[in-house]
Amino acid sequence: MKPVIYSLLGLLLVASLSCRKTYEALVPYDFTNLPGSGQFGTAVRAVTNGVYTVSNGASEFGDQVALKWTYLHNGADTSYYLSVFTGKDAAYFNLEGTSQTDSLVLGGYWRKLVNDQIGLAQLTLRVKHQGKLQLYKGQLAPGDTMVIDGLYGDKNSKLSHPITLTYNRPLNSRPFSIMAHRSGGRTSDLLPASENSVEIIKLASRLGATGIEVDVRYTKDGVPILYHDNTLNLRLIQKNGLMGPVEDYTYQQLSTFVRLINGEKIPTLEEALETVVNNTALNFVWLDTKYIGPMDKVQAIQQKYRQKALQAGRDLRIIIGLPSTEAVDSYKALANKENTPILCELDTALTRSLGARIWAPRWTLGPQTAEVQAMKAAGLTVFVWTLDEPEFIREFIGQNQFDGILSNYSPVVAFYHYTEQP
Amino acid sequence: MSMIYRRLQTTSWVVLLLLLSLAVQAQRPSSARRQRRLQAIEADTLTDTRRGPYTVVVTAGGGLSYYSTHLGVPAAIEQTRLSRFGTPSSLRVMWYPDHRLRVGLETGWTTMYSYRGQVAGENTHVYVSAVPILVVFSMPLGWLTGTDRSIARRMAITAGTGLYVNHSRLDYLGTVMTNTNSLGWMAAASYTYPIGRRFRIAGELKWFDAVAVENAAFTAELQLVWRAFSW
Repeated sequence: MKPVIYSLLGLLLVASLSCRKTYEALVPYDFTNLPGSGQFGTAVRAVTNGVYTVSNGASEFGDQVALKWTYLHNGADTSYYLSVFTGKDAAYFNLEGTSQTDSLVLGGYWRKLVNDQIGLAQLTLRVKHQGKLQLYKGQLAPGDTMVIDGLYGDKNSKLSHPITLTYNRPLNSRPFSIMAHRSGGRTSDLLPASENSVEIIKLASRLGATGIEVDVRYTKDGVPILYHDNTLNLRLIQKNGLMGPVEDYTYQQLSTFVRLINGEKIPTLEEALETVVNNTALNFVWLDTKYIGPMDKVQAIQQKYRQKALQAGRDLRIIIGLPSTEAVDSYKALANKENTPILCELDTALTRSLGARIWAPRWTLGPQTAEVQAMKAAGLTVFVWTLDEPEFIREFIGQNQFDGILSNYSPVVAFYHYTEQP
Repeated sequence: MSMIYRRLQTTSWVVLLLLLSLAVQAQRPSSARRQRRLQAIEADTLTDTRRGPYTVVVTAGGGLSYYSTHLGVPAAIEQTRLSRFGTPSSLRVMWYPDHRLRVGLETGWTTMYSYRGQVAGENTHVYVSAVPILVVFSMPLGWLTGTDRSIARRMAITAGTGLYVNHSRLDYLGTVMTNTNSLGWMAAASYTYPIGRRFRIAGELKWFDAVAVENAAFTAELQLVWRAFSW
C-alpha cells in the first residue's frame, strides 16, 4: 500500500509545483489627466524641479531623489506630471496635480521596478520660511527652501508612511540622452503599459526618458510595426491561439486578433511616430531594425515624420539603427540614403565608413575609453546599450564619456544623470 | 518565461526521482518477504540469476479531450462559438522490464481548442492542436502483490516530459498555419483489462500540459494494449 500512498503524494507534489504564481503591479491610482496645469503653473513647476534630500522615507527610496516635470499633449490640451526618480530599487513616483484649492497637492503612485512593489502617494508642497514650515502658495522668497512631504502606502494599504523631501540643488543640466528600451520599458517589468505600444510611448517621459528605442518588424503584407520578438508568444501578447513568426500574419490579422499583454494593439511604425510627434516631449527615436530585408518603407516613414516634426517645431531626431551586417546591407541598398540618419552598433571603422552620426556599442564591451574619445573627437555622438545595472549606470554617467544610455530602467538612468554633480 | 522553464525542470526532476525511488523500493523486499525468499533460496541449491522476461508493449488509443485552462477569444470577434472539446489520439511504445518501472515514448495528436465567429461580416476560425513527443515513465500500483485480478496490479500511473509541437491555424482574410515548440509534461492514470494473451484494453485519464504556450488538456482515452514481443 505504501507505493500507492507515495505515488499519490508525488502527484500532489507535482500538482502543487505546477501552480504558477502570477506577478502583477496594478496601478492603484486613477489619473484624471486633466488638461492644463491647474495651480501648478510654469513658475511652480520650475521651482519644483530639482534634487531633494529624503528624510522620512529614506530607507525605502534612498537618501536623495530627483524631481522632474513632464507633459503630454492631447490635441490642444496639455497634461502635466511630476516624476520622482530614486536611487533605490529602481523606484519612481508618478504624480499629477490634484484639484485641491487650499494647497498644492500631488496625487499618484510609486513603483519599484526590481520587484512588484507599488502603492499610493500623496504629497503637499510646502516651503520652509525663516525656519518655519508653511504651505507653499506659489511664492518663494530668497532663503526659502521647498519641502515636499506627505504619505505613501503599500500595495494593499492606504497612505500610511510619511515621506519628506527637502530641496537641495537644481537638476544636472548637462545634455544627456536617456533612452528607454522597447518604446519605454519591458512588459516583464510589470509597467502599466505593454512594451512597444502607443501607451508606453506616452508614458516614456514620465519614466525619465528623453528618447525611445522602438523595435521595427514587417508584417506579411509589408506594414512596418512595433514588436520585439520574432514570434507571437505569451510573454508579449494575450492568449488568442495565434503563434509563430509575426511576419506570417498580415497587419489586418494582427490588428483584429492580437492584443499586447495590457490590451493594446500592436502599433504600426506610423502610429508610433505620430504619437511621438503629436503627444510627447521626446526628442529622439531609435528605430531598431529587427527585420531582414528592404529598408525603403522605414526610410520613407522616417523622412515623413522628420518633416512632420519640423513643421510642428519639434527638435526630434528619428534615427535608423543598424545592429547587424544584414541591416547594413539593407541600408547600403537604399536609394538616396545620404539624408537618412543612421546609428551603427557595429565597429568604429564600419560606423565611420557608413557615415553614421551615432555610434552605439553594447555596454558589455566596457567603457572603451579610447574608441569613445576618438569617435567623439570625430564629431560623432556615442550611446551605449542596453545598460540596466545601477552601479554601471552610475559609473558610466560619472565618467562623462557617453552622450546617452539606452536602458530598460530609464528611471535609474534619470536618477543618476539628474543627481550627478558636475 | 525562464521561471516557467525552471519550474518545469524542477517538476520533471521531482517526477523522475519519485519514479526511480519507487522503482528501487519496489525491488527492495520487505523484511518478511526477504526472510521468505532467503528461506526459499536456502531450500534451493540452484540460484536462478536469469533476468526477464522483457516486453515491448505498444498502446494506441483515442477518446475525448477537454481544454482545461484559460483561453482568450479576441473581443473583435462577434457571434463567437468556442469549443474546448476534441478527439485526441495517442501512440505509446513502452519497454516493460522485469521490474516495476517502465519507460517509453509517447506521441499522438490532441485538439486543444478552437473558436469561430465573424469580424465585420467576414468568417474567422482559429484552431489550436498539439503533438506531444514525450519520454514517459509508467508504473503499476501493485507489484508482486495480490493476483492478476487485483485492481492495484491493473492500475498504473504514468508521467512524462518532453516536447509539444503546438499547431495553430487561422482562417481570416487568408490562412496562416504555424507551429511552435514548447516544453511540457503529462501525467496519467490507467486501468488495464486483459482480453487475450497478447491484447488488453485500457482506460486512461490523462493531463497534457504544454507549459510555454500555456495549453493544457484533460483527456479520457480508450486504448488497445498490444504486447508486441517478449524475450
